Amino acid sequence: MQSIGGPIGKWLLTIVYGREMDIETVKERAGPREFSAKDDMPEEYRKAATRMIQFHANSEIMGAYLERPFIRQAPSLERKLAFSAKTQDELGHGQLLYRAAESLGIKTRDEMLDELANGEGKFLNCFHYPMESWVETPMIAFFVDGAAMRRQATLKNTSWEPYAHAMDKVCFEEGFHVKHGEAILHELMTGSKKEQEMTQEAFEKWWPRIIQFFGPTDKQSTHHGFASEVGLKQMSNDELRRAFLNSYVPKAEKYGLEIPDTPRITKNDDGTYEVNEDDLDWDEFFQIAKNEYEPGVGQIDGRKKAQEAVAWVRESMDKHEQGIYGGGESPQAAD
Amino acid sequence: MAAAKQLPGPQDLSDDEREALEALLFSLADDEFVIAERYTEWQVRAPTIESDISVANIAQDELGHARLYYDLLEDFGYEEPDLIWERDASEWRHSTLCELPFDEGDWADYVVRSFLFDEAEYIRLQALEGSSYPRLADRIEKILAEETYHREHARSWLERLCEDDESRARMQDAVDRLMPHALTLFAPTDEDIEARIDDLGIRTENLLTMREEWLDEVVPRLESVGLHVEEAQLPEQYDVHHADFDLPDELGRDQSHTDAWFDLYDEFTKSYRELGRHEAAKIMKDPDDE
Repeated sequence: MQSIGGPIGKWLLTIVYGREMDIETVKERAGPREFSAKDDMPEEYRKAATRMIQFHANSEIMGAYLERPFIRQAPSLERKLAFSAKTQDELGHGQLLYRAAESLGIKTRDEMLDELANGEGKFLNCFHYPMESWVETPMIAFFVDGAAMRRQATLKNTSWEPYAHAMDKVCFEEGFHVKHGEAILHELMTGSKKEQEMTQEAFEKWWPRIIQFFGPTDKQSTHHGFASEVGLKQMSNDELRRAFLNSYVPKAEKYGLEIPDTPRITKNDDGTYEVNEDDLDWDEFFQIAKNEYEPGVGQIDGRKKAQEAVAWVRESMDKHEQGIYGGGESPQAAD
Repeated sequence: MAAAKQLPGPQDLSDDEREALEALLFSLADDEFVIAERYTEWQVRAPTIESDISVANIAQDELGHARLYYDLLEDFGYEEPDLIWERDASEWRHSTLCELPFDEGDWADYVVRSFLFDEAEYIRLQALEGSSYPRLADRIEKILAEETYHREHARSWLERLCEDDESRARMQDAVDRLMPHALTLFAPTDEDIEARIDDLGIRTENLLTMREEWLDEVVPRLESVGLHVEEAQLPEQYDVHHADFDLPDELGRDQSHTDAWFDLYDEFTKSYRELGRHEAAKIMKDPDDE
């Protein structure tokens, strides 16, 4: 079966089966960018892919929501410009990802945005913690974005082609974001003693959360098995976390940050790092995963309130479009 | 006025010339910086992802323009902290239109504010294209190109949000509240200095003429979408129609500001103060090398 590829192969499969692909075929064929809207994917696949992409899209929006106060608080004009542009990029990534998720035919963008507003939509653990000070910005813009880059780079090979395609643009822009975060970190760690101390303190607060970015260990992850089997997920949580540590522990040290004592991190003989996962607060993590962590609920509700306050504009735009297009689907979104 | 002779470079200006240029550049730069500060407040809060991306674009354009004007002030020996971060809030010269706060979700405020601002900006830039100060004239073309897009964006939103009664009512509230402050875009920093700006040919139209031109543009446009402008007597009395407008107590240009400005200033200087900074990081190429 694997030898059948390309459009003719897909056409032949349709002739042979005439209905949605069965799971075994999906697993056999699962490879980089293998499936697209042309394929009649089984619901189980479409649901799993939707869950993953929706989570990713939500995370872009909530990450932007978390960082938005620092457009105002940036301590230089050019940093302000960069922060505004970064936040804008993230909204653009959200837009792209919701489109990739929509292409699976399970949920519309509006449904996904509604779920995000009413607290059902899930997103990255780090974006549930509010940020109070400028010294926290590189914790997101360097470490969390750097961690995200790790994962996103592997997703260029995910089996859902529209998702992989979105990753091309996302990874390209994220590269700039990480550089922006790194420059802020460098500036703080070569700044006054006070700045260095404040940054170290922020690092200690964020470090465990950043390690948890990659989710629970593989044995605790419920969705991992299927998503890997059908080629949606390319690397396991443990592999990604280890790769992140190998590259970011030395980077943190290079900028003069001290790695906190907990969670305990050991260096293997081959120079790679291993984290003692029992030292991490998984209760808090799973509380966050259910959208029940108090500060995170504040973030979700704050965004919801802002979105409800402009509902009148969306309604007015709907009326406008109905007026022009006679009630049918509008061909383009207003900006 | 068109025949005014070219002014020399920044180092060779007389004190009077430099004073006139500084007043103009601070008005321009502060307007752009402060209105962008209010625009960015919409980021991740705009009605749709698409409008969110647009408002971010426009805010960045305005910040970019502010950067170009502040850079011209740096020619006179100032550095960014002198111009922004450590400059006393009571010395800023932006119009009060730029600083006013808005209620959560009041997208009508954004649309009306940007409409009034962008139309004024367009007229003001045209009067600077032929400036006798070459360092300024050189930068206007790029700015004008971006402002043309802003104007189209604002006009299209204006029309769209005036189609139904409910949102038109919100738009009317915004016009009532913002119009008096928008007039301060054409208020003088100081009568003598404004006259000098005109005499030196730094600007090719004076404030009153530009205000007339702006009113002739914005008032009919607002009325055509069913909005009413208080005390505008159109169309018969074009030449006197602005005479009765009441200006707010705070004009901005003369360094008087509303309370909201001082709060905004505290917010955007917060990190700079908390970190005990004395300089502002530059991460882009110098505008002269772009």
